[in-house]
Amino acid sequence: MSALKITTRDAAAGPVVEMSGALDYDTAPRLQALLATLTLRPGQRLVLDLGGVEFCDSSGITALIAAHHHARAARADVALAAVPPRVLRTLRIVGLDQIFALHPGGDSLSPSEDGAG
Amino acid sequence: MMCRTGRQPDPYEAGDEKSSSNAAFAALLEDSAEELYESAPCGYLSTLMDGTIAKINATLLGWLGTEREAVVGRKRFTDLLTVGGKLYHETHFAPLLRMQGEISGIALELKQADGGRIPVLVSSVIKRGDTGEPLLIRTTVFDARDRRAYEEELLRRRQAAEKARRQAEETRRQAEEARKQAEEARRQAEADRARLQDALAVLQQSLLPDTLPEVPGLETAAYYHTAHPDRLGGDFYDVFRIDGERFGFFLGDVCGKGPQAAALTSLTRYTLRAAALHDPDPVSVLTTLNKVLHERYAGSGDPRYCTAVFGTLEPGPGTGQVAVHLASGGHPPVITVRADGTAGFLPTPGGLLVGILPSARFTAATTVLGPGDVLLLYTDGITEARTGEDRTSLYGDEALLACVAGHAGKPPQAVVEALTGVLHGFGDGLDDDTALLALGVPAPDPQTRSIR
Repeated sequence: MSALKITTRDAAAGPVVEMSGALDYDTAPRLQALLATLTLRPGQRLVLDLGGVEFCDSSGITALIAAHHHARAARADVALAAVPPRVLRTLRIVGLDQIFALHPGGDSLSPSEDGAG
Repeated sequence: MMCRTGRQPDPYEAGDEKSSSNAAFAALLEDSAEELYESAPCGYLSTLMDGTIAKINATLLGWLGTEREAVVGRKRFTDLLTVGGKLYHETHFAPLLRMQGEISGIALELKQADGGRIPVLVSSVIKRGDTGEPLLIRTTVFDARDRRAYEEELLRRRQAAEKARRQAEETRRQAEEARKQAEEARRQAEADRARLQDALAVLQQSLLPDTLPEVPGLETAAYYHTAHPDRLGGDFYDVFRIDGERFGFFLGDVCGKGPQAAALTSLTRYTLRAAALHDPDPVSVLTTLNKVLHERYAGSGDPRYCTAVFGTLEPGPGTGQVAVHLASGGHPPVITVRADGTAGFLPTPGGLLVGILPSARFTAATTVLGPGDVLLLYTDGITEARTGEDRTSLYGDEALLACVAGHAGKPPQAVVEALTGVLHGFGDGLDDDTALLALGVPAPDPQTRSIR
């Protein structure tokens, strides 16, 4: 039942990875493998567009952390764009909203202090 | 013997009163005795007692492919035989014949002039003189080629049948052997699987406490749901004594599944325990764990981390209250269930996953549990269980809060049992391991007391 569609394009600031579907135990390893192959130059910004992500579990979180480490190792920036509210709540619980730059890309992304949801 | 002849040279010339009618009968058949002898459907042979051929009929000469002149007076009977036949003649045939005066139906082989062989059946009788002295040997020879061929065919058929039977037997034996090997392999595989399951179960148990310790003035209850028996789970919890007054507790969730997750769980558990003995401040304990995990897994390329709530319990002497200090790293907020029927989250916002960065912020919170109050810790297996007919909705925080509020005032065991029922109700919607830990101060009303 879980499926994840991933597309990659190059923007001026760096690669943009768009995904839609479920980011979970079955699909996250695929994202993680793809991110490891991305070449980042210092100063570039890797953007992960989560606009179409309906579900993100701990495996998805692991993939995002791997992306973060990959970018930092290349001295590049990393940002999450268009994070859906449900995924944002998960990110807040695990504290990832503090280590990723968040691009609204939508109207419903104003951060809330209450991580409990 | 049909062809046994009478006296030599011509049995039918014996003069008696029947001879005239015999002669008439022979005449009627237009067949002379001589012709009958020469062209009989069997071979005739008369030899002297030393075997020298004295007389031989045309039939036998034809079989041998030779001329009368080459044989009569020149060869002995044994000269007509193969080597094996000669031997048999010397050792059996001749002695028996001499002893008994006759012998019949002996299988021998004749040599043909062209080198061929003819299987024959040989019968002989000794003709004696008036005083009983042996005069000569009369011998009849039957062509046994057809019979031999028939026998050989029979033998060949029997050998073929025997060979087929042996092949069938061999095939059956091989099939049986293969079946036994397959059976043995299956049995071995099942034994291996059972052994592996046992090993996994023992490992799993080593990651979770068998029983929780007695904590004075407090009741405890815990539950662990394993989603996949063959995937070592990544949730963990424990309660342990820190010193004379305080107890420590923790509950968390490591990333991943399987042996690597189990190794991470083990490292996490013992690091938390050791760190608490050194400095029980919850933020300090999680900071130590963060350093340990980051040092251990940084640079491995595969992020390894956990979420955790760590806390201390300090019963107030004589007050019936327990002070709780806790901190969270990336873990969902714990729930306080109050004796007055309310339930709420104890927020710990901003605490980061433990182990992903060299230094991390953890968020502390405190509360006090009075009589009948319960502190509930859980992993997100329950809140992220998929519900609804199409399994697209999540159980969620609010449903969890409402459920436990319905059991406010009850002891920890009752709250855990209620949630266990909820977990079972998810069926296949519950895809993740789930840990529950409830800590409560006994209510004053003995009716609500429950011994764990």
